[in-house]
Amino acid sequence: MITSPAQDQAAAASQCFLAREDLGALIDAVRDSGRRLVGPTVREGAIVYDEIQTAADLPVGWRDEQSAGHYRLERSTDDRVFGYTVGPTPWKRFTFPPNLTIARAHRTNTFGFDQPVPDAPPVAFLGVRACELAALAVQDRVFLGGQFTDEDYRARRSAAFIIAVQCTTSSSTCFCTSMGTGPEVHGGYDILLTEIDGGFVIQAGSTAGAAVVAKLPTRRPSHAETGAAVDNVEAVRTGMGEPLPMAGVGDRLKLQLDHPRWAQVAERCVECGNCTMACPTCFCTSVVERSDLDGKSCTTERQWDTCFDVGFAKVAGGDFRARPRDRYRQWLTHKFSTWWDQFGSSGCVGCGRCITWCPVRIDVREELSAIAPPVAPIARPVAVEPVAASPGSYSIARVASIRSETGDTATLTLTDLDPAFLAGRPGQFVMVALPAFPAVPISMSRFRANAIELTIRAVGPTSTALVNLHPGARVGLRGPLGTFWPMQEAYGRHAVVVAGGVGLPPLRGLVDALVANHDRFESVSLFYGSRTPEDQLYCDDLEAWSASKAIDVTVTVDRAGPDWKGRVGVVTTLFDMISWDCTKVTAFVVGPERMMQASVQGLLSKGVPGDRIHVSMERHMECGIGLCGHCQMGGRFVCKDGPVFRLNDLGAMFNREGI
Amino acid sequence: MDEYAAVIATLNHTWFGAELSPETQQRLARLGELQDFEADEVILREGDDAREMGILLSGRLALQTLVPERGPVTILSVEPGDIFGWSAVLADTKAQSTVVATQVSKALVIEGTTLRAALKEDHALAASLYPQVLKAVARRLRSTRLQLLDLFAG
Repeated sequence: MITSPAQDQAAAASQCFLAREDLGALIDAVRDSGRRLVGPTVREGAIVYDEIQTAADLPVGWRDEQSAGHYRLERSTDDRVFGYTVGPTPWKRFTFPPNLTIARAHRTNTFGFDQPVPDAPPVAFLGVRACELAALAVQDRVFLGGQFTDEDYRARRSAAFIIAVQCTTSSSTCFCTSMGTGPEVHGGYDILLTEIDGGFVIQAGSTAGAAVVAKLPTRRPSHAETGAAVDNVEAVRTGMGEPLPMAGVGDRLKLQLDHPRWAQVAERCVECGNCTMACPTCFCTSVVERSDLDGKSCTTERQWDTCFDVGFAKVAGGDFRARPRDRYRQWLTHKFSTWWDQFGSSGCVGCGRCITWCPVRIDVREELSAIAPPVAPIARPVAVEPVAASPGSYSIARVASIRSETGDTATLTLTDLDPAFLAGRPGQFVMVALPAFPAVPISMSRFRANAIELTIRAVGPTSTALVNLHPGARVGLRGPLGTFWPMQEAYGRHAVVVAGGVGLPPLRGLVDALVANHDRFESVSLFYGSRTPEDQLYCDDLEAWSASKAIDVTVTVDRAGPDWKGRVGVVTTLFDMISWDCTKVTAFVVGPERMMQASVQGLLSKGVPGDRIHVSMERHMECGIGLCGHCQMGGRFVCKDGPVFRLNDLGAMFNREGI
Repeated sequence: MDEYAAVIATLNHTWFGAELSPETQQRLARLGELQDFEADEVILREGDDAREMGILLSGRLALQTLVPERGPVTILSVEPGDIFGWSAVLADTKAQSTVVATQVSKALVIEGTTLRAALKEDHALAASLYPQVLKAVARRLRSTRLQLLDLFAG
């Protein structure tokens, strides 16, 4: 079930007592209702979550000993069923499977992408702790709380019947009291158990839960029994000691992006990714294409991924988080800081799995204590409604023509489009897919009456396949996605467009709009730099824009042979030409990140206000809708919250190494 | 408007000249000589003695360096207001690159010995001119660093 406080309150008065020897009745009742039962069981020296057939499968009389990098099971002196804390298995394994087929594509007699219908038979989770309920709620917000949703997750989550257990013991790695998630359970369950001597105080939290409880051999609990249940949980809270000072930790972390501790902890971290795999809230994924040899049919599989993986943030031009310290900082700051910005809660629930299962004993609590600090809340741009939004779902478009721009870059004109693509805005992008190739994000470089243009540089398998298509070929599209250029903010001002290299395509639609509306601006200028004259894109457009007199076009190249009579020098040298009052400039900048940084510095030094500079960021994107985690940059997903950002909104995240 | 007034008016519209004091603008205008260059005319060759410093007033120059087997490579263009032959403010130096006019161009050219003598005896001139020369050199350094990064490659 998905959290419902009203159901929780309605069931609060119906506590009863279930004897330990009658726990099998609960298992039978759940299974008889047609649900598969998953719960704790001992396997390979740990308590994991797996299928439960009978009460004998449960870890009766076991306790665990946990500390940083340490986990041991041992026999306890009692016959408690839940006398341990959480093991290595997070419940997300069942609501958000490690491997999932999200699409099948084919191009034999037909061409298309098929999205599997979510298959989620009824299931019951037995032994869900307070921190784990909190983790499910966290993933509910991630997958179901935003504009884009994960329907497979919704189906699995809705099919789950939750039998929660209040903790009556804790490990040294537990810190739910610091995160405000436990040990008491507050809602989100169908049935709640609290173990006491001889059995359980049990209460239903939903109608479905009440129906199951009604079938059990329960009796009214005594005051002593209900009191013992409260006392046992309270004892756990007391035993965990003083909570950590978590208030404001997100802001404190943001002020410590250059703390030397990042490098120190990275020296210990082996980047195994255990922390993210064991974490009940981590949700990053990658997709893998599994194709037959002739490429005519393939399967797209989503797999758990980890931000500790080398290459997780890699793009054609390099890796944005190349160093281990970058990747550790990314993980920790996301969990405790930027998660708040994205989802309104912490990404950590205090279960302690990342501490126990870290082979080098890194303890996030120690790291948080050693690293401190804040940034203001973030205003989010508004994006337009896309079509075929979920991964694996594509709208088919036809390639009308292909124009070569440079040796490795071509512009595809796409027609037979869903009208939504034609309503896209300059700066937005689409995810483009071909069967057997992973989808890639491509900016929409021009909007025509019945077509859009995509300018693509061949840097990987998909982009190479795309630039080698022929007219008549079909492609899959999702979008339009992301934010767009706020052209209206430049009305009455000097509109300055700064483009470097293949940074021009995301700006081309904007330049078209600026030219078409040039009388709304004080002036319109384009500064465009490329590597060599041969690398210049849209030579015809550059000439036509210049000829229109609606925009001043200045181009430069980084280097040239003796035949080139134009400007030579990096694009920032063009700023020397600016003679206007720069406080009245609104700038739009795209290019390689280092070029954008130099351009932004140049514009700021000229007096252009930081809230009048807009940039488009590039990051590794796989899903395009903020669900896979690849493109995270501080508190934002570049795909969903960007790619167009106001410079001041990026703050310290702009051009910071390792973000 | 006489020739010197026209030079000063042009200087005032450039990033290099606008921040010079009026006295410095006048002094430079009188120290220098206006020269016209045809397109493709070689003004200075890499390795030659740096005998003159110029302030480009109109047109465009290319700073080129010779790369074996690649021929001359343009590493920077000089736009109106920028200087060329700046090595001439130092005694006994060689030109760092070949300067070629890529368009019909006009420049205020100051002979190096004359310029250095004037800077030595007129401290106000030196205090006004040196920061701008340094700014021009720093600008080229920044530009060259970014070019070295080859940002658009890969």
